Amino acid sequence: MTTTALPGRLTYPRQLRPIALNVVSIVAFLAVWHVASTLVNSPFFPAPWKIVQAFLRLAVNGDTMGNSLWAHCWASLYRVLVGFAAGVVLGVPLGLLMGLMPGFYTATRSIVEPFRFIPPIAWIPLAIIFFSGLPRFAFLIFIGSFFPVFTSTLVGVARVEQIHRKVAVVYGASRFYVLTHIVLPTVLPDIMGGMRVALGAAWLTIVAAELSGGTSVGLGRMMVNYAELLQIAEIVVGMILIGALGFVMNEILLSVERRLFRWRWQVTL
Amino acid sequence: MDEVVKVRADITHRYGDLLVHDGMRLAIRENEFLCICGPSGCGKTTLLDIFAGIIKPTEGEVLIDGAEVDPKRHNISFVFQEPSTLPWLDVRDNIGTGLRIKKRPRAEIARKVEDIIGVVGLRGFETYYPHQLSGGMKQRVSIARAFATDADLVLMDEPFVSLDQPTREKMQREVLSIWEHLRRTIVFVTHNLEEAVFLGDRVVMLSKKPARIVADIPVDLPRPRDPVSAGFTALRARCAALLQEMHVEEGVNH
Repeated sequence: MTTTALPGRLTYPRQLRPIALNVVSIVAFLAVWHVASTLVNSPFFPAPWKIVQAFLRLAVNGDTMGNSLWAHCWASLYRVLVGFAAGVVLGVPLGLLMGLMPGFYTATRSIVEPFRFIPPIAWIPLAIIFFSGLPRFAFLIFIGSFFPVFTSTLVGVARVEQIHRKVAVVYGASRFYVLTHIVLPTVLPDIMGGMRVALGAAWLTIVAAELSGGTSVGLGRMMVNYAELLQIAEIVVGMILIGALGFVMNEILLSVERRLFRWRWQVTL
Repeated sequence: MDEVVKVRADITHRYGDLLVHDGMRLAIRENEFLCICGPSGCGKTTLLDIFAGIIKPTEGEVLIDGAEVDPKRHNISFVFQEPSTLPWLDVRDNIGTGLRIKKRPRAEIARKVEDIIGVVGLRGFETYYPHQLSGGMKQRVSIARAFATDADLVLMDEPFVSLDQPTREKMQREVLSIWEHLRRTIVFVTHNLEEAVFLGDRVVMLSKKPARIVADIPVDLPRPRDPVSAGFTALRARCAALLQEMHVEEGVNH
């Protein structure tokens, strides 16, 4: 028995400490960057403040084509969200289905498994032929996010303990109740883990897809435009924004996880 | 003692070609505390699954109040040998699991869970998760879950076997006190004779596979029972002798 007080109360110093440490890390990183760029002294190695300038220029005036920075961000974000949502909406039920009916998975394994190893980028040529606009990007991101979610759901179902099913069945639970109240809570942490992997894959895919053309907006598109103009600072702005958007979405998922899985996260205090 | 028969069983069960239970006939009175004792591997757990209605016997049937047992219709409770609390639910929600599956009104669930938490001594731990509890407390949660429903039949499968001796004795007394409070029909499986004689109104002894009832011994000792009294030791010795007769080394009072 634990003798600690009820969980869920982190004191301020403990929360602030990692934030303070990260601020120190960022400052040190920028300092090293600045010194390196001063030493190299080349237009191809802009200093951090050049990036900030480029960011402000893009934010205020938009790019050379007249598209605002927010239009680029939103275009990429929207595509990621649509494709990612499709991946989750199809990946979870299919993973549950195949996990609960191992015969089904065994019978289709030789089809399902090789598909996993076709990287989303390898689907770009087909996507270019069959789709245009949002469906093209959403499709590619769906391919990228489906398998992490599907696979982790599938693996998670195997973790459901027989005794937990038996508890529900003894009290007269239906198959549906067992699915929603025993299987799903067990698999949920795996699903969330799969979703975070899928999110990484989604951002990876969106940039590659936008680089391949077919659009005038999107962070990937913007970076290609500035690459043609050899303007490094604007490219780096695009990179940082992709990193920042991915980071924020990941943090959102993590905080949902912490909230949902109090029973797992706060193992010891 | 109530004389109404609550559960009537007549079971023959095979697992493939293996005869597990051979014509086992048993009548359990309402609110009776029945202990079933037998050597390891005599199919006690299968027997409880049959009582619970989650396994159908090859021949015969189990009747509760005259109707064939069905977990959806009857209130069956089960306390398992291994930890069976659901790790994603806190103590309160774990205890309410059976009531929620039975779709009882929310207010009734809250009231019953609140009552039983007091009875099993988990007050103050309502919002704890299983990983924060000791083995004994987890088992107490399972017991509370089993007694929270108005169970027609409470099945207990060696529930204390993984607990240390002092905790085990404490839990035995607690189960007796809960049973005396709430009155339920209990089938308690154990391979510990002392436990069986201490708890049961009746001790049924099973043979090795294929399991048959070899003795059906009423325990007439007054409660609370004293394990060192002459009557208690005599009865336990009688059970032990029966096991010896079956040439069974396992399971004798350890």
